[in-house]
Amino acid sequence: MREQLEQLKNDALVAISSAVGEEQLQGIRVRLLGRKGELTALMKGLGSLSPEERPSVGQLVNTVRDELESGLEAALTAERERVKNERLQSERIDVTLPGRKSQVGTKHPITLIVEEVCEIFAGLGFSVAEGPEIEHDWYNFEALNFPPEHPARDMQDTFFVENDLLLRTHTSPVQIRTMLKQKPPVRIIAPGTVYRCDSDATHSPMFHQIEGLMVDKGITFGDLKGILTIFTNQLFGQKTGVRLRPSFFPFTEPSAEVDIACVICGGKGCRVCKNSGWLEILGAGMVDPEVYRHVNYDAEDISGFAFGMGIERIAMLKYGINDMRLLFENDVRFLRQF
Amino acid sequence: MKITYNWLKEFVDFEHSPDQLAELLTMLGLEVEAMENLGGGMDDVIVALVEEKRQHPNADKLSLCRVNNGTEVLDVVCGAQNFKQGDTVVLASIGATLPGDFKIKRSKIRGEESCGMLCSERELGLSEESAGIMVLPADIAPLGTPLFSALGLKDTLFEIGLTPNRADCLSVLGIAREVAAKLGLQVKYPSSAVAESDVRVESVISVNVEDAEFCPRYAARHISGCTIAPSPEWLVKRLKAIGIRSINNVVDVTNLVMMELGQPLHAFDCERLAGKKIVVRRAGEGEQFTTLDDQQRVLTSADLVICDAERPVALAGVMGGLNSEIEDTTTAILLESACFKPAAVRKTSKRLGLHTESSHRFERGIDIGGVIRALDRAAALIVELSGGSMAQGRLDVYPGKTEPTAIQFRPERANSLIGIELQREGILDILERLECRVSDGPDGAVAVTPPSYRIDLEREIDLIEEVARLNGFDRIPSTMPIARVISDRPSRHQQLEKRVREILVNHGMNEVINFSFTAPDAAGKLMLAQDDPRRASIKLANPLVDEQSAMRTSLLPGLLETVARNINFRSLDLKLFEMRRVYLPVAGDIMPREPVFVVGALTGSRDGEGWSRVNEPVDFYDAKGIIENLLGLLNIAGVSWVPDTPEPYLHPGKSCSIFAGRERIGSVGELHPTVQENFGLEKSLYCFELDFEKLVKLSRSKLEITAPSRFPDSTRDIAILAPDQLEFEKIIGCVNSVKAKEIENVTIFDVYRGKGIPEGHKSIAIRVRYRSYDRTLTDDEISILHKKVTDGLVNRLKVTLR
Repeated sequence: MREQLEQLKNDALVAISSAVGEEQLQGIRVRLLGRKGELTALMKGLGSLSPEERPSVGQLVNTVRDELESGLEAALTAERERVKNERLQSERIDVTLPGRKSQVGTKHPITLIVEEVCEIFAGLGFSVAEGPEIEHDWYNFEALNFPPEHPARDMQDTFFVENDLLLRTHTSPVQIRTMLKQKPPVRIIAPGTVYRCDSDATHSPMFHQIEGLMVDKGITFGDLKGILTIFTNQLFGQKTGVRLRPSFFPFTEPSAEVDIACVICGGKGCRVCKNSGWLEILGAGMVDPEVYRHVNYDAEDISGFAFGMGIERIAMLKYGINDMRLLFENDVRFLRQF
Repeated sequence: MKITYNWLKEFVDFEHSPDQLAELLTMLGLEVEAMENLGGGMDDVIVALVEEKRQHPNADKLSLCRVNNGTEVLDVVCGAQNFKQGDTVVLASIGATLPGDFKIKRSKIRGEESCGMLCSERELGLSEESAGIMVLPADIAPLGTPLFSALGLKDTLFEIGLTPNRADCLSVLGIAREVAAKLGLQVKYPSSAVAESDVRVESVISVNVEDAEFCPRYAARHISGCTIAPSPEWLVKRLKAIGIRSINNVVDVTNLVMMELGQPLHAFDCERLAGKKIVVRRAGEGEQFTTLDDQQRVLTSADLVICDAERPVALAGVMGGLNSEIEDTTTAILLESACFKPAAVRKTSKRLGLHTESSHRFERGIDIGGVIRALDRAAALIVELSGGSMAQGRLDVYPGKTEPTAIQFRPERANSLIGIELQREGILDILERLECRVSDGPDGAVAVTPPSYRIDLEREIDLIEEVARLNGFDRIPSTMPIARVISDRPSRHQQLEKRVREILVNHGMNEVINFSFTAPDAAGKLMLAQDDPRRASIKLANPLVDEQSAMRTSLLPGLLETVARNINFRSLDLKLFEMRRVYLPVAGDIMPREPVFVVGALTGSRDGEGWSRVNEPVDFYDAKGIIENLLGLLNIAGVSWVPDTPEPYLHPGKSCSIFAGRERIGSVGELHPTVQENFGLEKSLYCFELDFEKLVKLSRSKLEITAPSRFPDSTRDIAILAPDQLEFEKIIGCVNSVKAKEIENVTIFDVYRGKGIPEGHKSIAIRVRYRSYDRTLTDDEISILHKKVTDGLVNRLKVTLR
């Protein structure tokens, strides 16, 4: 019986190792360990052994069964692993084919810049204000200290409507509307569409500006410089140099043009900055007392600054666009890049 | 404003190089927009000495010279005879380029080597004619000095962009004053010493100013016996450098002095002035006058004219008249130096479209205190250049002469507004360098009287600006304001504007921005009814072109034009939107309304081409789906889609109005084929339009959230046969009318027409999902509910179950 068991075990192990596929392994299990299996049959023969032999042979039977079962289990696991690996190999796909994506659109670059600038100023405590584009002469010019028949009006070629209405030539009238509505402190940023009758590669009859206004007690020209330095650094990068130089706007005094170190050449001089190393990006100044008079503020009590910038100019610098017309042609091959 | 470096140096003695000067002026607010080297590119044409001169061995008319250029001695062959050994001459070295692109190369002339060329004035472009080469004074400059430097012809032209407030800087003198003030130097005024005859000017001419408001000052001198001739070379060159064409010695002097001192001047031919008399008066309404440019002008009573005893002879401050201009035969001159009211000159100049150097200055305001200086300077120069004799004295009508008023100025206010800490003395020093008179006023204030040429200095703030400017903007420290806290967050309108853009972008749409103005026929292209309010647009009085003459009342035409333009560039699959204002007149209000609208357009294929896509064209439901999502995300309730042929530009069978409750908020549909054609579009296009202002009003910020049920669901399907015109919403409505809270949702998962379905009918598959919030529904409970649903469909909608 011992020999039989040994024989059975050896034969079975050979069969297991040479079996192909899960089906054959399951067959071997049934043949050996099933209800009518060979080992089961042998176990039935235990009863015919002497009581002395019985425990040791019985133990042997158990050992053989355990060995066969674990051998089978291992073979089955290995077989399943093999089959799985084979399947995985056969399922290889081309990962370089483009992915399936839902389409993503784009905001217009003008919108992007407006949002970015407003976000920077929101962080400085400015809120967004708006005003009409078809504006009354009083808000667009007179309250901003452009008297009738003043040459300063020539600085802004104006589209006229009727009844003293015009297309606003700048976002500055929003200053007036805001100050008439509220008392200081005032801290606003006013993005908007503006119009001038001028059209070529660098001028569009419609364009966009962002106006800023801060009025409170004790605001200085140095504060204007501080705010604009922070702003330009956040918009164009931490180390952008800023330069203020004297200029003239009827509604601010002192007035300044604000230049940043050329973002194209870093200030060394190039075609974009006309070799000056500087780019003019906004106009600014301390609000003129005459403006306060029009909105019933007391210039002795408060002070403040205003500034304005062209969005198209900033978009062109930030995105390296050299023709303003691209911004209004709305070619999707252009728009989809933003 | 154009000015040259050397010219400026005659007025103020500064050390700055041209580049440094440009920086200085720009930082003073006189922006140098361009610089140009005059007499540049001729650095290889130098001063040289003829050390030896002998006969060329092979040519009678040539000589062989040994020429010292300061570093070496060269052999040069020369054909001219007008010089001798020891003369200082002009050598064009090898590599030099003379006017006419004539390059000097090493050459052999009749067998003798020549290392350069000795030049004549004509060859150097210095004169029209010349006999022989240029022989220079022996000590003109060290050998080797570039000739143009030696002759002082080297100069730099500055183009300065002046702001309209700086009328005083429209002259060399004005710029010189700025430089002097900044650097603490003295301005040197040009000579205006006048030699006069014994004849008193009053005995020759007279001036009568009838309108002193428009002409506060009128001064004149008289010169007789002069000869009109071409101007000398220096004068021609000086004017040419700044872009003024030379006319004759008299006219050129008036221009020169205007550029020098900023005072426009006019010279009349005195013999042609009737009565030898000047009358300054308003023009008669409709009075005619021919200006110097030979244009007949019709005048109004708002124009000021200079007249003789009979007729106008000049348009005051703008342009002289043909009838009294200086001609070659002129011998007597009346020279005018006057001051006219800026607004009056501007009105006349604008109305006639006649902008001159003179009107430019008068519009901005000239120095009423400088009238005489300019008159005398010009008169003296005219006498010098044209001969003649000047009558003694001058006429000067200046009735309103008043002492200038002082401005009360607080130095500490300058510091606190600018954010600097200058000493009082430092601040006053700045004002004094600007030629302001400064004296102590009450309460520590200072009384400041600006010079007459600074008409822009009227208020304390004007002086504060001058302190900031002269002290230097770069010396103002950058600080952060100390401000009170304001509580303000973006308005609902602003928040939603951003939200809508983001939603549309997330649906694959590209934002466009079109011009706010359109062609007047845009409404016609949309087939809008004659009484459609969108036909009443706001018109521009002065459009650039007719296609941009009306403010848009709808965003759609612009968007459709954009689609057409993109399709021309073969971008065929488009999903575009625009979110901007339209401009609608309001009855009874001069101010129009500017509501924001949102429009979208979809055309081409839904997903674009690709290996994993079915290349299907977009249709109505793509557009509708975007709006459904948009309205859902904005939390707008009670949305319905009403097929009421909402717009004439939409396909009547494939369009609808969009309602939220009872409010119509927009429309969506396929573009009408005729409109499609009007915009040159070949393929069908789906568009939507939403009134953003209504979206803002209807969007609810409060969300109602329910916890999901924890019990299992159960779905039942129904297949029905329905007439073609039965609308989906009716079916859903019918199911929902059962009003059982256990009906979680109803979806349509198939619509089929065709084989096996009778004509005029469609087969619809509906799935109803049942679920309770408080228990697991039993089969029986569901069956009872489901029977109510199917019975409702059969009985109320007359459909057949399949």
